[in-house]
Amino acid sequence: MRNRFPFFKEHPDLTYLDSAATSQTLDTVITDTGTFLTYKANAHRSGHSMGAFIDEKYHTAKEKIGEWLGITDPQDRIVFNSGATQGLYDAIQLATRRQDDFSVFVGGDFHHSLTLPFHSTGYNHCHYIKLTESGVLDLSDLEATLREDQSEVKIIAVTAVGNVTGTINDLERIRFIAGQYNAITIVDACQSMGKIHHNYEGFDFVAWSWHKVYGPSGLGCLMIDPKWLEKAPVHPGGGSVSAVSYLHETYLTNAQKFESGTPNLQAIFTLPNLLNWLIRNQSNILAHDKALAVVANDLCENNPYASQTGLITMVPQHGTIEDFTMLLDAKNIMIRGGNLCAEPLVRNISVNKGLLRVSWGAYTTKEELELAFTAIKEADARISKFV
Amino acid sequence: MLEFQNLYEDLFELEEAMDKYEFIMEYGTTASSVQEFERNSNDLIKGCTSSLWVKYSNSQFTCQADSAIVKGLAGMICDWYNQATNTQRQSFSINTLTDIGLAPLLSMGRQNGVNNLINTMKVLETGEA
Repeated sequence: MRNRFPFFKEHPDLTYLDSAATSQTLDTVITDTGTFLTYKANAHRSGHSMGAFIDEKYHTAKEKIGEWLGITDPQDRIVFNSGATQGLYDAIQLATRRQDDFSVFVGGDFHHSLTLPFHSTGYNHCHYIKLTESGVLDLSDLEATLREDQSEVKIIAVTAVGNVTGTINDLERIRFIAGQYNAITIVDACQSMGKIHHNYEGFDFVAWSWHKVYGPSGLGCLMIDPKWLEKAPVHPGGGSVSAVSYLHETYLTNAQKFESGTPNLQAIFTLPNLLNWLIRNQSNILAHDKALAVVANDLCENNPYASQTGLITMVPQHGTIEDFTMLLDAKNIMIRGGNLCAEPLVRNISVNKGLLRVSWGAYTTKEELELAFTAIKEADARISKFV
Repeated sequence: MLEFQNLYEDLFELEEAMDKYEFIMEYGTTASSVQEFERNSNDLIKGCTSSLWVKYSNSQFTCQADSAIVKGLAGMICDWYNQATNTQRQSFSINTLTDIGLAPLLSMGRQNGVNNLINTMKVLETGEA
């Protein structure tokens, strides 16, 4: 699979282990971006053949996403947006708008994008679901707090895979619990899409970004339950309506109603071929990711949680995050460190030091992980002399 | 006349980037400008990805940092500044680091931090003057 990523041919000297932040790009995405830019037209209502060609790609992209995720009505369920941050924001706005008696239950492994939009919504109560010792959501804690909560509406917001823990939350069980309380469910799937198999049916909102799935930057998707099509869009504007008068408007009846303005067609144009590759290679990608998690668990020291997929984090034994990232960068090894957009959890785990994160993709080799963990040990030995 | 190149020539004899960083970390343990002082937000350099504190009194800069590398780098800059002539101080900028080959060790974000350090030092110096 690695030979389908031009980055590695162009930069054979670099070891890229920051795929949880952004993945490298599949060759077809690069080619298709160029094709679009040399045949650029707008989708929807163009009336000319170039516009019709882009329209076809747009609809094909949604159909392919449906095929990939196993959903039958993607034109009604897939909303294109700028990325998961917008997707989660929009989901939270739709879920909380005109609600005045609701409580929120957020996974304790949350990314900032999953919780910040709630801060200004006026909830009765916000409960952060505890983590177990192995770093997954403690669903008995969720059930206990749901039982006690008296609010009319309950909203459960969770990550499918923690971007700090690298562990897989039990979405099947969360869906079951949510069903018992008729709760609205929001899933941040940024670290699970393209890495592990999940059944996302039955959740109200599922958000992810394509730049983490070997695709283009600036494009995300929000998968919605069709019942939310009854709601007015969070961002009303051109492209979301079927008719407008001076005083009234009629919104579209499919997911396009939540995509006002010209969508990121340059990025959407690349999805059909990317999705063909993802669908064709799905079992290999999942197996490869799982195998690398085993390797990382064997090599990593001082990791708070055993990785199940995609990434592993560790607390630096000596020095600071910056010392490690600079020293590894000196060896052309790209890893990430800091609060990982999950500051409360990272502060708790690391006693305010921050965490180092090694993350991988379909193109990563076992040798690259070995190189990185050897370099981390070398860096630690060098730093320990001076702190 | 004090030359930055002379002061840190040992650094540039090292070929391995990790060795250069180790030299910088070691420098931080001996730099005369690296001093213990009470860290407060007024002395924190803004725009650094890592926390760095710089104080100025009696025409001398002192610094502190959590990161061993940042401490060494800041110690180099403060040591140099403390010994430099007025003319050298006036012409000192991020480009001086680029000229002597230190810039490749600094990512763009860290170059911004060093730039903020240099600008802050000039403001502090002017303020006391």
